[in-house]
Amino acid sequence: MTTAYPLPSNLSPATVANTASLLRIVALALISGAAIASRLFAVINFESIIHEFDPWFNYRATRVLASQGFYEFWNWFDPTAWYPLGRVVGGTVYPGLMATSGVIYNFLHALNLPVDIRNVCVLLAPGFSALTAWATYMFTKEMKDESAGLLAAAFIGIVPGYISRSVAGSYDNEAIAIFLLMFTFYCWIKALKQGSALFGTIAAIFYFYMVAAWGGYVFITNMIPLHALVLILMGRFSSRLYVGYSSWYAIGTLASMQVPFVGFQPVKTSEHMGALAVFGLLQIVAFGQLVRSHVSSAQFQKLLYASVVATGILGTAVFGLLTYKGWIAPWTGRFYSLWDTGYAKKYIPIIASVSEHQPTAWPSFFMDLQFLIFLFPAGVILCFRELRDEHIFVIIYAVMASYFAGVMVRLMLTLTPVVCVASAVALSTLLDTYIDPKEPDTGDDTKSESEATVVSASGTNGSSFSATPTPTPSKKIKKAAAAAAAPLPTSGIISDLVAATGGPTRRGEPIKTKGIFGMDSRLIVIMHTLAMLSFFVFHCTWVTSNAYSSPSVVLASTNQDGSQHIIDDFREAYYWLRQNTPEDAVVMSWWDYGYQIAGMADRPTLVDNNTWNNTHIATVGKAMSSTEENAYPILRKHDVDYVLVIFGGLIGYSGDDINKFLWMVRIAQGVWPDEIQEPNYFTPQGEYRIDDMASQTMKNSLMYKMSYYRFAELFGGNQAMDRVRQQQVPKVGPTLDYLDEAFTSENWIVRIYQVKKEDLLGRDLKSANAFGQGKKRKRTKPVPRRRAIV
Amino acid sequence: MLSFRRIFLLIAAVTSAVSAKSSTGDSVLVVVEPSRQNDYSIFFNGLKEKGYELTFRAPKEEKPVIIQDDVPSFAHVILFASETKNFAKDITPQSLVELLSLKTNLIIALSTKQTPLSSLAAEFSIVLPPPGTPLVSYFPERSEPPSVIPIAPDSSSSILSKDIHPVWFSGVPMSLGNNPLLFPILRAPAESFAAEVDGGSADALVDSAEKGGEGLWAGSQLSVVTGFQALGGARVTWVGGVELFSDEYAKKEVSKSVESGNKKFASDIATWTFQETLVLRIDRTEHHLVNATSPKEHYTTGDEVEFAAYISKFNPKTGKWDPCACRKDIQLDFTMLDPHVRTALPPVPGAPGKYGTAFRVPDRHGVFKFVIDYKRKGWTHLHSSTTVPVVPPRHDGYPRFLSAAWPYYAGAISTSVAFLLFSALWLAGDVREMKKSKGKSE
Repeated sequence: MTTAYPLPSNLSPATVANTASLLRIVALALISGAAIASRLFAVINFESIIHEFDPWFNYRATRVLASQGFYEFWNWFDPTAWYPLGRVVGGTVYPGLMATSGVIYNFLHALNLPVDIRNVCVLLAPGFSALTAWATYMFTKEMKDESAGLLAAAFIGIVPGYISRSVAGSYDNEAIAIFLLMFTFYCWIKALKQGSALFGTIAAIFYFYMVAAWGGYVFITNMIPLHALVLILMGRFSSRLYVGYSSWYAIGTLASMQVPFVGFQPVKTSEHMGALAVFGLLQIVAFGQLVRSHVSSAQFQKLLYASVVATGILGTAVFGLLTYKGWIAPWTGRFYSLWDTGYAKKYIPIIASVSEHQPTAWPSFFMDLQFLIFLFPAGVILCFRELRDEHIFVIIYAVMASYFAGVMVRLMLTLTPVVCVASAVALSTLLDTYIDPKEPDTGDDTKSESEATVVSASGTNGSSFSATPTPTPSKKIKKAAAAAAAPLPTSGIISDLVAATGGPTRRGEPIKTKGIFGMDSRLIVIMHTLAMLSFFVFHCTWVTSNAYSSPSVVLASTNQDGSQHIIDDFREAYYWLRQNTPEDAVVMSWWDYGYQIAGMADRPTLVDNNTWNNTHIATVGKAMSSTEENAYPILRKHDVDYVLVIFGGLIGYSGDDINKFLWMVRIAQGVWPDEIQEPNYFTPQGEYRIDDMASQTMKNSLMYKMSYYRFAELFGGNQAMDRVRQQQVPKVGPTLDYLDEAFTSENWIVRIYQVKKEDLLGRDLKSANAFGQGKKRKRTKPVPRRRAIV
Repeated sequence: MLSFRRIFLLIAAVTSAVSAKSSTGDSVLVVVEPSRQNDYSIFFNGLKEKGYELTFRAPKEEKPVIIQDDVPSFAHVILFASETKNFAKDITPQSLVELLSLKTNLIIALSTKQTPLSSLAAEFSIVLPPPGTPLVSYFPERSEPPSVIPIAPDSSSSILSKDIHPVWFSGVPMSLGNNPLLFPILRAPAESFAAEVDGGSADALVDSAEKGGEGLWAGSQLSVVTGFQALGGARVTWVGGVELFSDEYAKKEVSKSVESGNKKFASDIATWTFQETLVLRIDRTEHHLVNATSPKEHYTTGDEVEFAAYISKFNPKTGKWDPCACRKDIQLDFTMLDPHVRTALPPVPGAPGKYGTAFRVPDRHGVFKFVIDYKRKGWTHLHSSTTVPVVPPRHDGYPRFLSAAWPYYAGAISTSVAFLLFSALWLAGDVREMKKSKGKSE
């Protein structure tokens, strides 16, 4: 047997194993470091601040948890949210994230480390990303080997698709959920492989943690049963599957029902029925196995036939009856929108209005995953080659997650781990193939398999010391990959190698004489792979620092000289509210800003990002899209003191309320179709305009008036220009009778209006205003009480 | 400077406590033409006797200003300059409305002439007839011209004293719009109508009907003295003709040896307008669980809650606020968007001034308000709103060990027992069999 390059032969297997294990630990530590470090851009570029919208609520809830303890948090009724309905926070929240931070906070304080709760919250996501990398390593190790595991860990550590949800400050459920997802899957695979009730229970415990942390737990609830079902259909039922699944399902479901927000959903809603059905099916199949071992084959056939028919009819009937009776809830809207992307837009505008519920644009796949998206199919195909039980899991996962990621931008997050795993499998197979120094035999078939093993083992060991000028991390990966391959039996690397290069082969078939000759082809492929990997690193760094590290509470723009200019209008306005308004002043805004107002301004809000009450949101939408006269009674009824709008027309901030306005109209129209009609807000030509040609309804709407109130004056007689819509604003701006401008931030992004009190004399405020400005009232005549005598 | 002012205020407070007749203050500005000042001496002296400090000012005089630095200079303002077309620049309809927002009370007299005040009347949804059309009545037959009318006050009015003789009136009638804050104190007689006096004939009725369009300026729907309570609490009285207050009418006999009621009527109007009578206030409210004393930060659905309000009435004789059990029709709302509970708030017997009720908190969580919104014509509007969240029961606040749940308890217990038994049998069973079954499963 010839080798492509010389290998040392005087190393003991123990030394090799120890070195490899040390290198793996070092590599994992470095990967964790990279994962954490790349998520700190947000803190370095801006400051240690909570990002976006939902994290503000999580942060506020965590503060309550940290200061008042778990039971108070559980029973927390927030009277300032959804005024005046209030929100039962303990029962409508996934407490896993807050509980995690609370535990960390208390633990650090017990160690006399007085860490601020905000910093715990800000840095939780980066911390958990390191754990995710480890969990992915463990998971991928089960798929292939340690080298693939390390690659997968490195990928998940820096891939933008995951970073987008886990930068420092992005204190959201997903921050810990992806770790839990991967670790639950790992435990499930482990339980399945070993038939271990222990791992099944661990999977159930982490499943419970996942349920407590993220609504996306339904993904696990359906993935594992689907996997089990496919295994049964493939005739791969085994007592290992039975033990693993039963222990997971029984304990996991009982545990998940302890989360108040979930409650009895696992036995009531359709999303959870699959898991229950597979559990039942497993019992039947297991019973069938038992019966088969006791009765003859012919009898069994009849029995099986009868029971399958009976079970089918019975099951369908029961399911139908339960759904009809309403004991099993019908599918939720968010679920329908997974299958029909147009569904939400038609029926539930509130779901469609969220940008992260939109279908994914193709470029974002490349943006979030870069070259992994090309390797991903290769990895999935490689899974078919061996097709062990766990490979089927990856295949199912890949198919389901790809579909969902295409339907909703947000679900890109669930796709990312499987892409990393599959790509790592593909890439590590490629590297294994090309680093392996064994040259194919050119005709000498006499060598036995055991001899080949020795050669390959020593050969791969040697490869780690070959002096190729490569960057350090990939060298380490290579080393680890090579070292990991060493102790494997014959069916490991050589058959892999042969299979990868020589087309599909089965395990245990005789080795064919195919392979790679010489150093040149090896070097070309390896260098090319390394180049791809380094481009990947550059891409990830660039995307992370430019696209995903903005807190969106603080905006950054670039000055003409290239220096950074911070736009801090949001906090300016929220602090104004905090300092200048009474504590119980109710602030109305579109729901996007509800959590921020509650978190930063500490004022009651009408609606917030927990969009649980469509009617209440529609009420706000109606107030925003009606005329002042119609909006005023709504404002008074809800005790609104201040109205807050976001206006980007001055500096070109495109995420402002005028651009969201049509959603307000649509949502309001869904509840009051007689009063609010979307077509009225367009010009007769069907354009959405805000300039002179805007429709009268548009110009009279409260939102339009609040956005452009006194805007034209800013231009000192010149033509006022809206920089978002690129349209010219009418020179004579709208007037307000029922609201007073209270505050406008530096760049006009946030405008706050005070709602006037009812007129002292019981007039409507419009005529009161006209009187105040000295306008003469038209002479009125007495109300006729009877007909005049003619 | 500050301490000076404080001492001054203190002295003012002490003196007012001694001689106070009004609940809001004693200083009165009278805007009247100096030449006519003495025509109303009976009325003004009556006020002075009660303890008011009257300051007179001609309509075109610049000083004293009515509002200085956003603070009203007087507690009450009487505008008797009913025919003046041009006031000094600080007296405008707008500034008068501002006075009301600063809780200054007004008595405004109108005339048949078109003045700034008649345009102000429109803001109170008082509709005046066209200029030059006073109220005219030919009944009862009398020697006076038809525009000088004796009007018998409504004896059921809470503002006026019980036994007032008919009141001489001459001036414009007012037609009242549908503003709920507005109410007539003295209605025009049923036979009266607004017409140009010059004609004096019955044709005038037809003429004015045509002038006034479809609205007919006639009948007892018209008011000649109208009260108005602004939402801020200030009171305004619109009087159709300033002569009502004059010495001449006060002395004039209505019928033989029956003195007119003008003096008493004018005094009653001033008493009401200057917040001496029918003045209520809510001293405090309290709420707590039944059989408890201290209020809770929030209540749980289904709690029995007690609410009480302490209401006092101003006593002009002593200048003090006395507890008052005088109102029987106060209501309490327990509101979230809509009233979930609306119940009477009756006076508590034995506890003067305390109005209380107890009710069960509805089975709906949210931010509720205890709302008292009491608006009666003539009486001070009472408004009180106390916000209190209603929360669902705590996690351990639900009832336990329900009898209806026994099937579930039985299920759980039997399963546990069965599991224990099974484990015991399994562990104590034959070792050989266990090995066999183990081998099968793998």
